[in-house]
Amino acid sequence: MSTAMNFGSKTFRPRPPDKGAFPLDHFGECKSFKEVYMQCLRNNHFDNSRCRIESKEYLECRMDRQLMTKEPLEKLGFNDLTEDLSEENEARS
Amino acid sequence: MLSSFLLRGCTAKHYIQALSSTRLCIDCCTIRRLATSSSQQFLRRTTQRLLNQSRGAKTHKRKHQSQADDWKKKNKTILTYIAAAGVGMIGMSYAAVPLYRLYCQATGLGGAAVAGHDTEQVATMKPVRDRIIKVTFNADTHASIQWNFRPQQSEIYVVPGETALAFYRARNPTDKPVIGISTYNVVPFEAGQYFNKIQCFCFEEQRLNPHEEVDMPVFFYIDPEFDEDPRMARVDTITLSYTFFEAKEGQHLPLPGYS
Repeated sequence: MSTAMNFGSKTFRPRPPDKGAFPLDHFGECKSFKEVYMQCLRNNHFDNSRCRIESKEYLECRMDRQLMTKEPLEKLGFNDLTEDLSEENEARS
Repeated sequence: MLSSFLLRGCTAKHYIQALSSTRLCIDCCTIRRLATSSSQQFLRRTTQRLLNQSRGAKTHKRKHQSQADDWKKKNKTILTYIAAAGVGMIGMSYAAVPLYRLYCQATGLGGAAVAGHDTEQVATMKPVRDRIIKVTFNADTHASIQWNFRPQQSEIYVVPGETALAFYRARNPTDKPVIGISTYNVVPFEAGQYFNKIQCFCFEEQRLNPHEEVDMPVFFYIDPEFDEDPRMARVDTITLSYTFFEAKEGQHLPLPGYS
């Protein structure tokens, strides 16, 4: 990696994520949620903003099955979903 | 015979010596007598002069001593200052490393992770709705690992400040368990600092049993500051690339960023 110290230009350095690695889902416990999410992505031209509920459900599934540390969803960036979940559901339907 | 001659010689010598000494004495006396008058006067003068001189020398000496003391004091203070400066320099050189690290963390210079870019931000960040970025996914495996590893979606459209989920799939087609370890890269490089992962499958060893297939999720977000960086103005595609390597026993990969 080039380590030229240029002021203003930041170099890329891969760093491990804050919460470490996901444990492997060896038994496919959350596979159905993943399928739903992937289907949603395909239906919505891979627009992530429209499939946030599905992604949230997948993460909740992992949390419920101890495949992820339990955390409030606000800390995972879902505070807009937890606040006006019903509103968004109405808008989608 | 010999002794008589010696005696005679001796007496003769003595005689001569005595003679010469008396003559010397007389000479001395005459000189002394002559000298005393002048010498007394000289002595008187010189003593007075000496006295006078000694008095002046005393005051001069005192002055000299006080000045020397002053200089000594000055030298001492200057020396202490120099010593303090030296000790300070050594201290500063030791403090330079943590201080520079602090500076780099505050400014993000040299690719150092900026403190505060962590989970706290995720809860409060606001999505930038009018900036849609295409994130494409790429998967590679090192020649030594016999996994089938590929992304399950080729691209996702994300806005900065919104968490997104992506999946990779890995399959171990061999008849024995294989442990893999992965690292990632982001293209363009400058966008890498804005590409934050909350959780992924990287940097940790993953063991796949024979003929096992697993989904590997990546949960990430793009920093909302991405929209404000002028260097990112023309970036609308970010590629996330993962590479899996076979982890062999006794080999420890250094964690990138901590080297």
